[in-house]
Amino acid sequence: MPSSDPLPPKEGALFRKLLKCYEMKQYKNGLKLAKQILSNPKYAEHGETLAMKGLTLNGLGRREEAYKYVRLGLRRDLRSHVCWHVYGLLQRSDKKYDEAIKCYRNALKWEKDNLQILKDLSLLQIQMRDREGYKETRHHLFTLRPSQHASWIGFAMSYHLLGDYEMANNILDTFSQSQKSIEAHDYRHSELLLYQNQILIESSHLQQALDHLLKYESQIVDKLAVRETIGDLYIKLGQQEKAVPIFEALIRRNPENVLYYEQYMAARRVTNSGAIVSVYREFQEQYPRALCPRRLPLDIAVGEEFREVADEYLRRGLRKGIPPLFVNVRTLHQVPEKAAIIEALTLQYFENLTRSGHFSRADADAEVPLEPASALVWTALFLAQHYDYMRDTDRALEYINAAIDHTPTLIELLITKGRIFKHAGDPVEAYVWLEEAQSMDTADRYINSKCAKYMLRANMVLEAEEICAKFTREGVSAMDNLNEMQCMWFQTECALAFQRMGRWGEALKKCHEVDRHFAEIIEDQFDFHTYCMRKMTLRAYVGLLRLEDVLRRHPFYFKAAKCAIEVYIRLYDKPLASETTIEEIDIENLPPSELKKLRSKQRKAKKKAELESAQAAQAQVKREQHQKSKQQANQETDPDAPQLDELIPEKLERTDEPLEKAIDFLKPLQELAKERIETHLLAFEVYYRKNKLLLMLQSIRRARALDATHPVLHSCIIRFMKALESARQEQPFNVHVQQVLDKATKELIGKKTPQQLNDEFIAKHHTTSILHLYEAARGLYELDASKKAAAIKLITDFNLSKLRLEEATKIYTALRDGDVFGDCEKEADDYKLKCQERFQYARIFRNIEELEAQLQEKEAAKLRAEEEQQQLNHLDSNETAASLGGLASVAAAS
Amino acid sequence: MNIRCAKPEDLMTMQHCNLLCLPENYQMKYYFYHGLTWPQLSYVAEDDKGGIVGYVLAKMEEPEPGEESKHGHITSLAVKRSYRRLGLAQKLMNQASQAMVECFNAQYVSLHVRKSNRAALNLYTNSLKFKIIEVEPKYYADGEDAYAMRRDLREFADDDNKGQRKDDEEGEKHKHRGTSGTHNHSGHDGHCC
Repeated sequence: MPSSDPLPPKEGALFRKLLKCYEMKQYKNGLKLAKQILSNPKYAEHGETLAMKGLTLNGLGRREEAYKYVRLGLRRDLRSHVCWHVYGLLQRSDKKYDEAIKCYRNALKWEKDNLQILKDLSLLQIQMRDREGYKETRHHLFTLRPSQHASWIGFAMSYHLLGDYEMANNILDTFSQSQKSIEAHDYRHSELLLYQNQILIESSHLQQALDHLLKYESQIVDKLAVRETIGDLYIKLGQQEKAVPIFEALIRRNPENVLYYEQYMAARRVTNSGAIVSVYREFQEQYPRALCPRRLPLDIAVGEEFREVADEYLRRGLRKGIPPLFVNVRTLHQVPEKAAIIEALTLQYFENLTRSGHFSRADADAEVPLEPASALVWTALFLAQHYDYMRDTDRALEYINAAIDHTPTLIELLITKGRIFKHAGDPVEAYVWLEEAQSMDTADRYINSKCAKYMLRANMVLEAEEICAKFTREGVSAMDNLNEMQCMWFQTECALAFQRMGRWGEALKKCHEVDRHFAEIIEDQFDFHTYCMRKMTLRAYVGLLRLEDVLRRHPFYFKAAKCAIEVYIRLYDKPLASETTIEEIDIENLPPSELKKLRSKQRKAKKKAELESAQAAQAQVKREQHQKSKQQANQETDPDAPQLDELIPEKLERTDEPLEKAIDFLKPLQELAKERIETHLLAFEVYYRKNKLLLMLQSIRRARALDATHPVLHSCIIRFMKALESARQEQPFNVHVQQVLDKATKELIGKKTPQQLNDEFIAKHHTTSILHLYEAARGLYELDASKKAAAIKLITDFNLSKLRLEEATKIYTALRDGDVFGDCEKEADDYKLKCQERFQYARIFRNIEELEAQLQEKEAAKLRAEEEQQQLNHLDSNETAASLGGLASVAAAS
Repeated sequence: MNIRCAKPEDLMTMQHCNLLCLPENYQMKYYFYHGLTWPQLSYVAEDDKGGIVGYVLAKMEEPEPGEESKHGHITSLAVKRSYRRLGLAQKLMNQASQAMVECFNAQYVSLHVRKSNRAALNLYTNSLKFKIIEVEPKYYADGEDAYAMRRDLREFADDDNKGQRKDDEEGEKHKHRGTSGTHNHSGHDGHCC
């Protein structure tokens, strides 16, 4: 490439060597070469050399110097494509892709046909989803190198991604015509054919797609994809009879694929439920080990037929003792009729197994052989799970206790018992059972993970981390290791536990960690842009791009984002005092006993911090060693990955702009999780606090479009009207804004006043729905604070027997925390007592004294056990010391 | 239950399932590496609601010295404890093996398993006809030895029904606890490009 500021031959050779060194990652050598050129006073300010020196420094992780030299070089030689390219590469390694794209474009101004720059540009364009730009660059590359395969593929792909299927298909057609010799088993060729077929299908050219597959079938090695697609196309094109043998063969190949059966039924045009069930019966005969032909009829059958197939299915499962029997029929419980039949059947089994060892009286009368003794335990487990699902805690416990009495060592039973307590609102008792289960099989990580999760539900973060540490890498704290491994379920559960405990900063830290995993996973796709073109796995690649486009739609993100938004809103409503002031206030105003507690807490915190920093130091050493060994093995690392700010809880929870931070988490939800009403309700809460009327309105409208009857919407509308009124009083709106607001108001509440609206809402819901009534009570109080007593009475009078635990919890916490209806301790206490009767297992309604006594008792028992153990150890070590006494004195003497 | 070939959008849930069930974990990029290099080889088992309860993550390896063609390798296999004893692990393995033969001409499939993991060892030896080739000392990060195992895949060639026949033949024999898993070194960091 011609340079704008050419070096003489000697320096020119050094410069080429410098480029080579950079490519080979020999940064130190590269640096020496750069110095050599720059030490010649004539070339001390040679732009391209300065820039390359900078890039080399970046390779060594010296980022700041890197920027300094690259910018210096560029300033010395603004017309050099090398300098611009280098600047682009530096920005790219810093993940500033938009900036990097600008640099590459500048470089191309001076060297428009530079292949390397064009390729680098195309990668950034696809990474940033600049599809138009990508197409142009790929077109340019294509015209420069029409003989390369990759040029054709990239060219076609760029049109496909723009939705121009015709063009994409034409390019691939022309390309494959130019392909002469095809090897017998050519994976890449086969993948390309399937990619082209995908384009045909996506453009709805189904007949063309079918013809294409039939023509090339022999050249395609992915037999499964071919058969699945041909079968599907036959059905869609109305040639069902041709699809029948295909799906028959596919079922033979994999009898556990639900879709194959559905397609088979569609191909044979079997629609009547009785007929479908008998087809499944044929498959049961044919594939006696397969699960699908036995399970799927349960979804289809109704009435007496359902009873019959369910009876067979359940007996078989209970006889064999299959632990997942219940989870596999759980979805059937959504149909009350089916749930009732399942309950009746299993109750009947339990009764008859207890009496005669048979599933039914008829079996007993016919004197068929006895069922295995274990069938009774499995039936009891099933019933416990069934009643737990129905939230009938007493009966669930009755059956699970019977099962445990029978077989105390079956871990599945203990897990179920824990789950029953969890659902009944006692996370502490729940975790105790999981811990017990865990201790019975310490080699199984699944039960270990579940135990950790239950601990987190009981807000025991430290204990959860300790349990997890049994399976994380040694030498690194479990928290760090789980973060490194992107263990999002754990981090999200931690965040929620911290949120429940009011440890806002720590909750936010965990939410941000999850968010960073998502950022990293989006980053991950970068290398695959070139890789997949080479491997020709284009269908999977397009799948990756589409996945990454909507990555934050994932429920893991939603959960963490929701938590973060709620915490930031809380921090906006009640900002924390700065750290130093807490210290002072605490010490001055605390009674001696409290002060003592505080001191001991501080000591503990200090100890913990010391321990953690020691661990962190250790981890750092390990990491460095790890890094070194990796580099020695010449494995690719990313030395230039940008350093992210450390997440410090104390700083996170004292942000100056909590609502802006909340919006950072909210934006992806609004874009990707717009079908979830919670997104818009959260958005309302944020914009309400920012007093953004139009955005409040937008959120309300979006939520209404999803579910106009959602209870929270009512309170949003009331608060919006209130905010609108006070804004109007402050200053008149701009005409256009006024129009929008007027129209919206009319649409939302017509000519009514907010009071009228609220009264109507109460009248409509006061006996039917507590959640609606709760929002109405909020409205009542919001609009007129003097109606506080009436508002509270409205919800506390609601028939408790109709409430679910989650609902009662919501009402009670609102009263207890006093942030909805103002201070109302007395009412909260009364309500708690009533709830206690209704939900006897739920911890939240129990007395603190009672719980503390219980806790202390447990602690004391633990201490006693530890003391006893210590005494025993002491005894042991005394004995050993005695026997080693001689040696010890020798050692002391030397 | 539904067993099907894994798609890119399944990979995150596979990682989640792996983190719940096994001590050997990998970052997402390593899953992408598998899914984008050998898209046919990884399989998932779903529950009624589409949640992933088990998976097999598989790849191809270059021929060993003295061998002619490539062979398959099981990077990781797991089934949630709450879904064990349905024979899912075995079914997942057979589907992956079939694809290795068809798409990549694999002669055999290899894997590593902890010496102490008797449930998995039982599955591999008795149900899937794997043979122990050698012991790899201190293969795992915690210092445990691994058995390197292999299963000949010739039976899968030219006959796409064998997979099912395989499923049928056994299954009954090992009553207790399906499997808990096998996996590679934690040395693999997903260097794909």
